[in-house]
Amino acid sequence: MMTPSITHPIGDFIRANVPIPELAYLINAIICIVAICTVAFGAAMVLVYMERKVCAHVQCRLGPMRLGPHGCIQTVADTIKLFFKEVYAPNGADKFLFYLAPMVLLTAPFMCLSMIPFDHNLQVADISVGIPLIIAVNGFGILGILLGGWASNNKYSLLGSLRSGAQMISYEISYAMILLFVVMMSGSCSLQEITLSQSGNLFDWWIFKAPGIGFLAFLMFLISSTAELNRAPFDIAEAEQELTGGYHTEYNGLAFAMFYLAEYINLVTTSAIATVCFLGGYLPLSFGYAPVDHVLAIVPGFIWFFGKVFAMIWVYMMLRWTFVRPRVDQLMGLEWKFLLPVNLLLLALGAVFISLGWIVP
Amino acid sequence: MTLLSDALFSDVMFYLVAAVMIGTAIATIMAKNLLQSAVFLIFSFVGTAILYLMLHAEFMAMAQIMVYAGGVIIFVIFTILLTSHLGESALHIKLPRTFIALMISLAFLWVMVRFVVLTPDLNVATPTATSGYASLSSFALRLLSTGPEGFVIPFEIISLLLLVTLVCAITIARKFKGEE
Repeated sequence: MMTPSITHPIGDFIRANVPIPELAYLINAIICIVAICTVAFGAAMVLVYMERKVCAHVQCRLGPMRLGPHGCIQTVADTIKLFFKEVYAPNGADKFLFYLAPMVLLTAPFMCLSMIPFDHNLQVADISVGIPLIIAVNGFGILGILLGGWASNNKYSLLGSLRSGAQMISYEISYAMILLFVVMMSGSCSLQEITLSQSGNLFDWWIFKAPGIGFLAFLMFLISSTAELNRAPFDIAEAEQELTGGYHTEYNGLAFAMFYLAEYINLVTTSAIATVCFLGGYLPLSFGYAPVDHVLAIVPGFIWFFGKVFAMIWVYMMLRWTFVRPRVDQLMGLEWKFLLPVNLLLLALGAVFISLGWIVP
Repeated sequence: MTLLSDALFSDVMFYLVAAVMIGTAIATIMAKNLLQSAVFLIFSFVGTAILYLMLHAEFMAMAQIMVYAGGVIIFVIFTILLTSHLGESALHIKLPRTFIALMISLAFLWVMVRFVVLTPDLNVATPTATSGYASLSSFALRLLSTGPEGFVIPFEIISLLLLVTLVCAITIARKFKGEE
């Protein structure tokens, strides 16, 4: 029980060099936690800055420019400000649930991050039930939003959280189905094996490898994950004009920072899952032309991985600032009357393609 | 040199998880607020999932989190939020009812303990399944195989049943033209 079944070079090195197994176990655990937190907080800081800059340039503005060159210290200042704010619950709020909600919300993205392969050996846990666990922990995100909205004792919060809950439950079905489609193609639920099933050149990534339906599945993933992330254009949960701020209206200071953080870590994990499932994960870009491929393969896997992840994040940000927000009933109609049938069709088509031998897992 | 043997470690972990489960289960009943009860119930379910993981039943653990913590509880909370006036009046339970409930649960506990004690080889059998027996791939293969170990007919019957339920739900929820 003390030695995990997964062998890992860094873990093995510590287990071999620390005399007491319990201490080695503890050190390994601490390394894992520190690594995940570094990725999560670091990415969130970068993303806040990136979002403001992308937003500004889309709207022909400059964005933050004062603090540091091109305003790059602005996020640090904002974070420090959030840390020093007083945290208080509104009068009449359920204190226990009010403070529990952001913590529940944060469990899901951290659990997802721990399963993502950043490189051949840079992965906290390579478990055989990776995709089911991602689908399962997504429920905690909905839970955190529902609890936070209710515990605030505010009508806008409650309405926002109910809207968001209904939206996330609906879109979770499509999201899960697209992931199952990828599982069916690659024949494995482990994220590491899904990545390795795409080794080869550019056209072995699942977005291109499955003729036609791979790209369709990727588009479906983009739509359903944007809704799952509660990001614009599907941000009816916190539509400022209608609900002042949605489920986190009453939150402030660190509690609000946790909601904010969860949003951005979710953006990272969703982009990472898209990268793993469709864009070949940490595998380097290759065109099937040896001289170029060898040069591209020199770049380490985790740089490829983060490059693809940030490209995906850029796509999400451009989506956010390009499209208009649909109404609540239009949003639900889109999921139940369009995405869900198309996803069922995609699953069936995938099965047909595999049985005909057009896709080799 | 090891400070803790594997058996001792798993024992300690078991009692830790079990204590959390019992604590949250009691909190579920004792909480004055219906929504707080639901939240404590989630922690209890997650504890059950951890117990499944310790028994190497990975898929059971995932199903536990997916179906109960992620699905059932969300709908329970939705139902609570949409129907009741929370926090206005706590549930009042009269004493005779509490007494009857205590009697029934004690009787249930007694029956359960008796059955567990009657299980043959309880002291000698290993608590975990053989490694890989309950893993996702072997689970799926067993579910779909037609051999003596397979469960393909129950699997198909359940899928048919779920399809019927879905069609029924859509039929009930459907609005016909002119009916509003």
